[in-house]
Order: sequence, then C-alpha cells, then structure tokens
Amino acid sequence: MALDDPHTRPPEPPEADGPRTGSAAADVLPFPGDQALPCGRLLSRVWEQAQDEAPAADPHTVSCPHCREAAEGLATVNAATRALRAVDPPGLHALADRVMNAVRTEVGLGRLLPLADPDRDLRITESAAAKALRQAADGVPGARAATCRLTSAGEGTDIRVTMTLVAMLDRPLPERVHQVRRAILHSAGQDLGLAVTAVDISVVDVLEPWPPHPGAGIRTGGGA
Amino acid sequence: MIERTASPRLECDLPDGLLAVRAAEGDEDSFAVLVRRHSRSLLTLACCMLGNPQDAEDAVQDAFVSAWRRLPEYRHSAEFRTWMYRITVNRCLTMRRRRLSPLSLNTVVEPVAGDAWSQPDRSAERDAATVALTRALAELDAGQRICWILREVQGLPYREIAHMTRTSEPTVRGRLFRARRSLQEAMGPWR
Repeated sequence: MALDDPHTRPPEPPEADGPRTGSAAADVLPFPGDQALPCGRLLSRVWEQAQDEAPAADPHTVSCPHCREAAEGLATVNAATRALRAVDPPGLHALADRVMNAVRTEVGLGRLLPLADPDRDLRITESAAAKALRQAADGVPGARAATCRLTSAGEGTDIRVTMTLVAMLDRPLPERVHQVRRAILHSAGQDLGLAVTAVDISVVDVLEPWPPHPGAGIRTGGGA
Repeated sequence: MIERTASPRLECDLPDGLLAVRAAEGDEDSFAVLVRRHSRSLLTLACCMLGNPQDAEDAVQDAFVSAWRRLPEYRHSAEFRTWMYRITVNRCLTMRRRRLSPLSLNTVVEPVAGDAWSQPDRSAERDAATVALTRALAELDAGQRICWILREVQGLPYREIAHMTRTSEPTVRGRLFRARRSLQEAMGPWR
C-alpha cells in the first residue's frame, strides 16, 4: 500500500489496524452490497485481506479458489493504482518554490537583538541569529538543534542562548553538549558578533537515523 | 576549532518532528525541507480528490501556507504528515464545495486529462489505465473517494483515515469496500 516514497510509513502489520476478527461470514455484519462467496467468506473481508495482509497469512485463502478469484478481481484496479502512484503529479516541481515564495512573504522581522558593538547600535533578528546558532550546533556530529531562543541577559548587549537538542547516544552526552556549547559560543562571537554570556542546553530527545528503517520499531519523532 | 562534518543541506536528514519544531520558530529552511518531503504525496492526494491539477496545486499551496501560520500551535499530538494530510483534505473539501455549489449535483468532475498527467516516457497502456482510474474515481461518492485514496494511494492506517474523515473505522472499511466494488466495475473494460 505504501507509496514509493522513503518518507511514507511502511505497511502496517495486520494487527495494527485491528482487522475484523472472525473470517466466517456469520461473524460480521456485511456492508451494504456485500456478498458471501460460495466458501462462506464475505467478499469485503477477502478484499481487505488481499489488500492489507501478507500473502499466505490465512491458510484458507491460499487454498480456496473462490477467495483467489475474488482477490484477482481487483488486479486491474491495483495495476492502475500502482501506475498512479508511480507518476509525479503535474506541477510537482514548481510547487515547492511556489509554497516557499508564499511563505517568505509572511515572514516578519520579529524581535531584534543588539550586536556586541554598542557604539554603532547594530542589531540582528532573533530568527537570523537562531538559524546561525542552530547550524553551529548541527555541525557537531551526533547532535541536532531543536528550539533556539535568544534573550537579553541583563544589562548592555549580553545575550543568553537557550537551546534544546536531540543527540545520538553513541558517546557520553556531557561531552557532546560541551562541544555544542563551544560551537555556539564560537559562532556567536566569530560569525555574528553577539556577546553570548550564557548558554543553556537541554537534551530533549534521542537522535535516530532518518528516514527510519522499516520495522525499526517506534521512533520518537524527535519531538521536543 | 570545532570539528565540523556538516554538509550544506543538513536539514535533509532531520526527522519531521524536529523540522516542525524549528519551522515553528520561523526557520524557513526547515519548513522548505518539510515542503519538499511531503509535496508529492499531498499533490497526488489533492489531484485524486479534485481531479484537476491546477486546483490541486492551489489546494496544496494553501494547505502548506496555512500549516506555516499554524505551526506555533502544532502540539505534535499527531505526526506532521498526518497533520498535513488533515489540512489538505479539509482544503480540498472546501474547494469542492465551492466549486460544486453553483452546478447541478449531477455534474461529474472532469477527470484529469491525459495531457495533464502524461509524460514522454510513459507507456500508453499505463497512461490509459491511469486516466481510466482517475475517471472512475471522479464518479465515486466523495466520502468513498477520500477513504480509497488515503488507504490505497497513500497507505494510511484505518484509524488515521477515520480520524481524518471524522468517521469510525467500520465506516471507513464500508466506504472502502463500496469504492473497490465501483472501481472494479468501472475498470472492467481495462482488464
């Protein structure tokens, strides 16, 4: 059922969708227009099984000629469905640019932060500074920035950075967090010219490979 | 100096949830990755639902812009993909209602024409089957069509489809059955 798209979830195991239990026609209420095959199975159930479950999951359908014939009745539709999935829909290639152009017209300046040059009163938007600091954190292998907020830290141009991270667990976290802190301070000072005097970092999730491998178990999704 | 192995397109390997967190803080680059990652399936969904590529593009663009505005409120209770599907399905339904309202109920949405979907390297047979399927889809009841597309084209689980269409799983299964039956009958000549 899944698209030929690495980001689409692989087909669910049958139990995840809670298939209707009881294969015999008598166990379930038929849908309007449903019919019982000569073997007693409902057509709707045979089609569901054929579409959703692994072949040979049910010994009856493997050997029953009526079920096989019913399942094969969907072959033409299935072939056309595969063709539909395989083709890029028209307009796909221009769509992302169109969307991002529309989004960028909505982006406001947001909050301004002072750079560490009080004489000239230079400022940078929080979003631009956050983007640069996230990139710095991303540059540390095994770490990726999630949220990044910059606030004024007391008087003058002092700035406090509060970042949440997702990190792999192949190395001790304190070491990785230390690297991220150094990367943030370096980027803030060298790339941006911000006087960052405090960096608060929280690791909020485990970083796992993306796209997830089918059957690799439940992914945390990196949500913070 | 910090050890750097970063590639210029680091965001591309980030999971959706993390990209959505960053986008919610105004990071356009992260949102752009989400847009590229999900455009194809959302546009296929909208094309199947609306039967018209231009309307489908508009629907998906509107859905993404709406998502961008609402990202700060997105609470990650559903996966980003599911959340986007919901926004897109709602957008398509609204567009269909608007488009159909001044017309007769008997008006059938014009199916996607061959020239819209066709590409030079596609075989004529696959082309014909795709057009026939799109035509058959356009004649389905709207509820059946959504359930069928979400299940058979997008591969979503029944519970997500039920949630998205605000019905129950048995209703989704019933609609799927009737959709399969109608499509099988309509596609008979292509066997």
